Amino acid sequence: MASFHKIIVIVGFISLFHSAFSAAQHRSYLRITSQEFTSLPLDIMVQAVISLFAVMWGVLNVAGNLREIQAAAELNATKWDTQLNFPSFYIFNHRGRALAQNYVRSAGKSELENSE
Amino acid sequence: MSVINKSKDNKPEPVAYSEAALRNNASVVEYCRTSMAALSGSTAGVLGLTGLYGFAFYVFAVVILWIMFMVRAGPNWHKYYVSRQSLLTNGFFGALFTYVLFWTFIYGMVHVY
Repeated sequence: MASFHKIIVIVGFISLFHSAFSAAQHRSYLRITSQEFTSLPLDIMVQAVISLFAVMWGVLNVAGNLREIQAAAELNATKWDTQLNFPSFYIFNHRGRALAQNYVRSAGKSELENSE
Repeated sequence: MSVINKSKDNKPEPVAYSEAALRNNASVVEYCRTSMAALSGSTAGVLGLTGLYGFAFYVFAVVILWIMFMVRAGPNWHKYYVSRQSLLTNGFFGALFTYVLFWTFIYGMVHVY
């Protein structure tokens, strides 16, 4: 979705530049034919204004997401699983491993002392 | 008991706002505002507006940007902005200088040279 708005911004910029070049060419045409400048042709004006709106809308969406300003808004979104998660109470080393098939009994405290 | 208390002092309950979210939203709005000033200044220069018409075009662009903010936020804009009026008027003159800069520059590029 963001890339779509980026495309809007780029196309709007190109269109704005195009209308600027059209206006400059219109001015030079008037200068060559020595006419008086009253106002731009309607199509150039419409193209400039519409491309301005397009770029503004694109920039508005590209600029970034708005966040909810209420302080509780982000706390309200947390799940019960997150609330109940206490890493300090995790147990990795307990008697349950003795139930595994490939469990090897250690000989006890005496083996630890002799292993050096 | 609490119902009676509520009916007695009918002040609205104070709302706690998140500082980080407020700052984030303000920076997004500021970015859009600066871009809008530069772009509408360029457009005014292309259109060849002079004098008060240019300033009227700036006011028009500010109002359009405000409407776009409101359209984007939808009906529950209370979630994102503290007030709508300050969204319209904040940084009005600060962005006006950017606008005049681009307006005169593009006018000179397109219509004078």
